Amino acid sequence: MTEEYDYIIEFKNITKKFPGVIANNDVSLSIRQGEIFALLGENGAGKSTLMSILFGMYEPDQGEIWLRGEKVKINSPNQATELSIGMVHQHFKLVENFTITENIVLGIEPQKSVLGLPIVDIKGTDQKIKDLSHKYGLDVNPTDLIEDINVSTRQRVEILKMLYREAEILIFDEPTAMLTPQEIEFLLEIIKNLQADGKTIILISHKLDEIKQVADRCAVLRHGELIDILDVKTTSTQTMANLMVGKQISLSLDKEKNDPGKTVLEVDNLVIENELGIEIVHDVSFVIRTGEIFSLAGVSGNGQMEIADAIAGLIPVKSGKIKFEQTEITDFSVRDRTELGISYIPEDRQRFGLILEMPLSTNLALKSYYKEPFSRNHILQDRVFLDYSDQLINKFDIRSGQGSATIVRSMSGGNQQKAIIAREIDLDSKLLIFVQPTRGLDIGAIQAVRERMIAERDKGKAILLVSLELDEIMSCSDRIGVIYNGKLQRVSDADLISREEIGEAMMGVANNEQ
Amino acid sequence: MLNNIIIDGLSFALPLLIIAIGGIYSERSGITNLALEGLLGFGAFCGGLFMAFLSSSFTAAQVPVYLSLIVAALGGALYASLFAVLCVVFKANQVISGVVINILSVALTGFLTRQINQNFFNQPSDKFQIGVFPRVSVPFLKDIPVLGGFFSNFYVFEVIILLLLAITWYLLYKTRFGMHLRACGDNPQSVDAAGIEVNQVRFKAVLISGALSGIGGMCFAYSISANFSPTVYMGAGFLAIAALIFGNWRIMPTFVACLIFGFARSAGNEIGKAMKLSSSFFDLTMTLPYVLTLLLLIFFSDTNKAPRALGEIYDKGKR
Repeated sequence: MTEEYDYIIEFKNITKKFPGVIANNDVSLSIRQGEIFALLGENGAGKSTLMSILFGMYEPDQGEIWLRGEKVKINSPNQATELSIGMVHQHFKLVENFTITENIVLGIEPQKSVLGLPIVDIKGTDQKIKDLSHKYGLDVNPTDLIEDINVSTRQRVEILKMLYREAEILIFDEPTAMLTPQEIEFLLEIIKNLQADGKTIILISHKLDEIKQVADRCAVLRHGELIDILDVKTTSTQTMANLMVGKQISLSLDKEKNDPGKTVLEVDNLVIENELGIEIVHDVSFVIRTGEIFSLAGVSGNGQMEIADAIAGLIPVKSGKIKFEQTEITDFSVRDRTELGISYIPEDRQRFGLILEMPLSTNLALKSYYKEPFSRNHILQDRVFLDYSDQLINKFDIRSGQGSATIVRSMSGGNQQKAIIAREIDLDSKLLIFVQPTRGLDIGAIQAVRERMIAERDKGKAILLVSLELDEIMSCSDRIGVIYNGKLQRVSDADLISREEIGEAMMGVANNEQ
Repeated sequence: MLNNIIIDGLSFALPLLIIAIGGIYSERSGITNLALEGLLGFGAFCGGLFMAFLSSSFTAAQVPVYLSLIVAALGGALYASLFAVLCVVFKANQVISGVVINILSVALTGFLTRQINQNFFNQPSDKFQIGVFPRVSVPFLKDIPVLGGFFSNFYVFEVIILLLLAITWYLLYKTRFGMHLRACGDNPQSVDAAGIEVNQVRFKAVLISGALSGIGGMCFAYSISANFSPTVYMGAGFLAIAALIFGNWRIMPTFVACLIFGFARSAGNEIGKAMKLSSSFFDLTMTLPYVLTLLLLIFFSDTNKAPRALGEIYDKGKR
């Protein structure tokens, strides 16, 4: 560690092209030992590609990488590991039926000899993992199976994997995309611990708050080009946002006071059990009126997703009533509810919202394909699908490679979401259910989705918003219900409740005023 | 009669077990293996051919029967390499490859057996004489009431199979190779990220699968008829697949499943005999293990947990 070098990592004029796209165009940047360096950019700006080059997954077309003052060529992740570079991928690479320890040692298993036979020593390593986990405040139980632990713990296992391999340069690819607000705080704390221990950290993100909170410097990438390198302490998030998007962008939403009308949805004493027969929603009641956005705030796993699913008809309820415009729909099928006027934008858009291997035109007609004019005498009318799809693409500005014929898998997350929203809104339903509608989207797309939601409210739609992002709840809702442990803790007009009060109710602090 | 049920049950259950264990290697690595039937047949064919050549030049007493198991294992592995090339190297659909391997095995061994008998031994036959595998009993233990059946008059290969079972447990659960193999069946991407070649691991797993199936096939040839003939293709490979599925892809539960199948079969046999049924009805009692398969399928399919990446073709480039 005593060698002379100014920067631990230097990218020199890196260019990487993929068929049809320049992912990185002549990017040069240098990272200091021991700093938290953020890479900021929208989806597709080339952040992940640049890091994949550093991690040996891609070879650059042009340019050089210098590590600790020496030019290196990194051909494989193995080689990157040898150079003490570690990466936490966006999609974890863990073996589900292995324990935490087994996952961490996979590929470099310690062995001992029993009766002359080599045996992988897992038990002896558990303690080592436990110590390592304590040192950085990671707090995992080495003997737990991966299939039994949550996303946040899985991520910590990935971090331990790097630390066990003695990585000095740690790359985090969008580490907070799947985490709840509390887990995000926890992770950022860990990242700071790692820095305090002398590690160099590269954080890929498009969340300005996080970058502001932990990073020292920040490089902004747009369309594969390096736009600027900023000192985070002295730069406002507004400036960062503008640089990232390339134009003036508003971080706040224009929303006028709403004018609610008659009740559209009425939920009475709803009780829901999960597959194991455990009650996860207790006695929840609320109403949603025309022209208002009612949101359910809460930490993940407190029953809010189940309430949304039950209203959409995806899961059965144990007791209680769901009424839609005076009609009781508790036992209605999903299709009946759709036809009555309920639209649903699911949390997991790829699994429940779209058929990824099918073209956009088919996906846009998923809720109406069986009706005239899409289907005539039980024969699907391709022409109608295409016309309808072209119309929605224009109306909702859905961008894709080949228009209606694009296979949905190849579209960006933001445009996939736009497609779902287009389909659901165009049904002209009276009630729209949005579950985590901006999850994993970049800043421009987030803004577009929220504006669309408010526009629908202004048209007189009733909207249920379920979100884990407090910011989203605060900026979009007219009324807020906070859920904790399956119970509705409190319901309040949005302008009568503060962020802190919501936070407290989310953590189960009781409230005496109602 | 109880002794007979036990003795016959074991001599069916254990060869079935070693084939199922072969299947476990392959499936735990993520390769769906419907080719067990073909692999066991080809292994038995190789072992049978070896015995036929040796016995034509030596007297029966000198012929080393144990060697035939090794030859069968090599034959099974050789044939499995074809399966591995198809579905690991060329990434062909594993189900279709397995079916093709089975059909090819029946046709190829049938054809070759006739041709070789015709041209080398000058007799038109579809069988190879393979001699008799030694049976032993454990003194004293064999005289215990009821349980004595487990220690009397068993084939030596049954002991060898139990030995292979112990080795498999060690290999799968205690060694690096076993860890890598099981990881490949769960999440090959994570194995790749750990710097291990997924396809290499899977190729080896399929070869082992072939070797063990070959041994199983040879044991069946000895226990059924003392010769190699197309009767070796009696569905044991498929029954082994059923056994490993009931066994949840784990060794000990699969062992239990095989014992159930073995005893159901031998019990069916004894019942048939006791009722003095005509041979056409005999076939009916022999369906007992298969009827049992159907019933177990109904009750156990819910709780089954297949390896997560089973049947998933691993393509390194795809992320």
